[in-house]
Amino acid sequence: MQKLIEVRNLNIAYGGAAGWTNVVQGVSFEIARGEAFGLVGESGCGKSTVAYRMLGYGTINSFVQTGEVLFDGTDLLKLDATSLTRLRGNRIALVPQNPTTSLSPGMRVGSQVREMIATHKALPDGMTMGQRIVELFALVGLPDVSHRYPHELSGGQQQRVTIAMAVACNPDLLVLDEPTTGLDATTQRQIIQLLSDLRTRIGMAMLYVTHDLALLAQIADRVGVMYAGQLVEVASGDTLLSAPAHPYSRGLIASIPTMDGAKRQARGLRGVLRRDQMSTGCKFEPRCDFATTACRTTPQVLEPIAGARSVACIRWQEVAAPQPLTLVARTDGEVSAKPERLLSVADLTLSYRKPSLVDKLLGRTNPSVVRDIDLELCAGEVVALVGESGSGKSTIARAISGRLPPRAGLISLEGGLLPPTVKDRSVEQLRQIQYIFQNPDASLNPRRRIRSILTRPLNHFGLEAGENTLEAVLENVGLHAGYLDRFPEQLSGGERQRIAIARALLVNPKLLICDEILSALDVSVQARIVELLRSLKEKHAVAMLFISHDLAVVQQLADRVAVLYRGELMQMSDTASLLSAPLHPYTEILLEAAPGLKKDGYVSRLPAMPASKAAPGVGCPLAGRCPRQVGSLCADVRPPLHATGGGFIRCHIPADELASRTVSPEHKRSAGTDGIRVLNS
Amino acid sequence: MSMITARSSNRFAWFGTERWSVTPGPFKVGAVILLVHVLFAIGGAFWTPHGFAEMGTGLPLSGASWQHPMGLDQIGRDVFSRFMYGAHIVLMLSFAGTILGMVAGTTLGLLSGYIGGWFDEITQRIVEAMISIPFLALALVTIIAAGPALAGEPVLIVFVVGLVYAPRITRIARAAAMEIATREYVAVAELRGEGIWSIVFREILPNAANVLLVEFSLRLSYAPILIGALGFLGFGIRPPTPEWGLMISENRNLLIASPVTVFGPGLGLASLVIGFNLFTDGLSRMLGQRPVPGA
Repeated sequence: MQKLIEVRNLNIAYGGAAGWTNVVQGVSFEIARGEAFGLVGESGCGKSTVAYRMLGYGTINSFVQTGEVLFDGTDLLKLDATSLTRLRGNRIALVPQNPTTSLSPGMRVGSQVREMIATHKALPDGMTMGQRIVELFALVGLPDVSHRYPHELSGGQQQRVTIAMAVACNPDLLVLDEPTTGLDATTQRQIIQLLSDLRTRIGMAMLYVTHDLALLAQIADRVGVMYAGQLVEVASGDTLLSAPAHPYSRGLIASIPTMDGAKRQARGLRGVLRRDQMSTGCKFEPRCDFATTACRTTPQVLEPIAGARSVACIRWQEVAAPQPLTLVARTDGEVSAKPERLLSVADLTLSYRKPSLVDKLLGRTNPSVVRDIDLELCAGEVVALVGESGSGKSTIARAISGRLPPRAGLISLEGGLLPPTVKDRSVEQLRQIQYIFQNPDASLNPRRRIRSILTRPLNHFGLEAGENTLEAVLENVGLHAGYLDRFPEQLSGGERQRIAIARALLVNPKLLICDEILSALDVSVQARIVELLRSLKEKHAVAMLFISHDLAVVQQLADRVAVLYRGELMQMSDTASLLSAPLHPYTEILLEAAPGLKKDGYVSRLPAMPASKAAPGVGCPLAGRCPRQVGSLCADVRPPLHATGGGFIRCHIPADELASRTVSPEHKRSAGTDGIRVLNS
Repeated sequence: MSMITARSSNRFAWFGTERWSVTPGPFKVGAVILLVHVLFAIGGAFWTPHGFAEMGTGLPLSGASWQHPMGLDQIGRDVFSRFMYGAHIVLMLSFAGTILGMVAGTTLGLLSGYIGGWFDEITQRIVEAMISIPFLALALVTIIAAGPALAGEPVLIVFVVGLVYAPRITRIARAAAMEIATREYVAVAELRGEGIWSIVFREILPNAANVLLVEFSLRLSYAPILIGALGFLGFGIRPPTPEWGLMISENRNLLIASPVTVFGPGLGLASLVIGFNLFTDGLSRMLGQRPVPGA
């Protein structure tokens, strides 16, 4: 294969107050023409730094100590600014992580694509600019959206626009920096599908940077695993996932939650990447299960081993030795006598804006964000609330916690009615419901030490605190007393989330509301927090409302799952039967989108841009997107509830018919035409 | 050869040489100027070559000499002694006034930003009304309204400085509080059922400290000008206490006869304000905040 770009012994350091920190050390790899190379690693391992150097770009305080980045024979690190400008966008293009911030909000997306083509004079012969732009949008599966502003497009559509910009000049190399991280599972899969589609059509090479190995498995030919600024393993995607040779790769793969409904025996990673605790030898030694004394002192270098792969570990043979990957069936919680009901939510309807006086006089109502939610939680039970972003998961949690007074509906705890706002709730009621937020960086006051963060709730609720109450609770969440005198910024993301959990547990709540508490964390950290939550559930019999968009995590933890779409409960079911027989079309879509650890040739059944949006409150919210739509009925009439084994579904199609799992082509077609015509008329 | 980012260990170490070398230049210059001022003021409070109100220490209007580096005024008082003694008065009035304005403004601003609603509306309209009056006019009206019994008292000057500053500081504090109020740790405290005061002072204030510190030192830098202006107009400290603005006012008709008598207090005020400004500029750069220009 012909080399397109080659990185040789790249060393990059970042300058700071305390001198230079080596961020990338001795990284070498190459990408052939048309090949998709993936770089994977935990946050802070230097993968993005490497990716940006492929565009000859570095931040002001970074400094390339040694190394070469050879692109078609020229060293990008030695090029001057003008020649780099000519190269960037034209032959090497970038798809950034967050399309919302990388598209200019004040410019129509058409002109942003036009800019790209005009800068590099890359208009193909015999084509007008307008035609080319429409062609590019068609290439990424969008209709002509050139007159729209970025905020008029959804996240997935915005990312399609940035991809259209990137491929506008038919680049040789596409650098993708976590292009799907901020997106929903279903949208993620669509983007991945689009990218592999584009690759076969345009034949460009890709450097795909991500922390998500499962997604990488779907797209990359070869994968490089980075740890602490070094490449520790390079192998083809399939080989890496089936038989990782480096202990770090192995741990990373073991940490990924999968949908196979079984618990893996292999252990995930312990500890976190700490750049200030590096041994002189192998960087991974402090966290490695295979480490010997030799590892601590001998630096490891990437060495080729059999099968076109290379690994930086002296003991790779033992690591790679096929371990019995015993899939132990999950021992589900014993079905004991029905425990008493803890929380019940009835007919909950929520909206964010209060109806103003004018609205009241005119009899207008604001569209509600969440409609008719009925939910029940028993003591010690974990119920997951699953749905895409914007489906109202967090809104429901806000209402239960009392931060958003419901427009209609009742919330009761242990039989007693809960007042709608925090202000009216008694101290005791407040204590019993504890809320854990998504982002631990934001939910811990950065100016307070852990000790005062933890003692404040105790004092507030007037709880007895013994000498080692704090130590005990820290131990409970896997930390030790040494953390008490630190500030949140001195902790890693996972540790901070543990502190947040500890703070909630400290006051002996009956119900924990976990609002996407894993999504801001690395996979290896996620796996350990899930482990922690599961042990807490067993030990303390605390009930949890677990909000997540990640079905794989949910199946490891939850007893029952509630599937939410656009503010309505589509299905309620116990976890096991949800996974084995999803029944509801939307649940099916979600399950299909969850990536496994193998290439699964996923083909999205959803259009990139729904032709119409279902009107809220009328008909089924899924109408227009549903693969099994029944004519115009779905868009017009609110679907009835059908009771199933462990819950209910909300659909026009009866449960037993759904269970037969066949999507007839007529249904598909009618989804595209009938439903839309009705809505448009 | 692992490099270490040892930030946590020296986080609270007070100014070491290492830290001094990485601070911005303006901060160093400003800090040195302020230090000189403070030492000078402390010295002047305890010892001066002549008494600050002592008349006939030499030939009036005789110009600068070794005995009288800043000359003598119309009634033969040593200007340098008066200048030395006045230093601590200017500094103390500035600090006291700014602190008063800071306490009032911060409290009102944080509450207004956090509570919002009608409380915020009312507070902000009052604040806007006060800011729309030119600060000197507001100060003079307040002094006149206080009546002759209080005129010239340091307490009144402090109050006036506080009154002029409080609305301006309120706005800054409110903006900071509104931003911080959306953070999740505030939501955590709300969910715990904490009261308004507890949330404002435990959760919001520590996180607004950077903004407020910069605002404080910025306001402090303008305080000597305000106090000097009041003194110059005759509404400041009661004579013969040698406040610098008052001294400039007293000696301004000697500008031709003995210009050196005005230079001292003028340069003193200028260097103090410049020192404060440089200090603020450096401080805000270190804290990553941008000061709002203008009074």
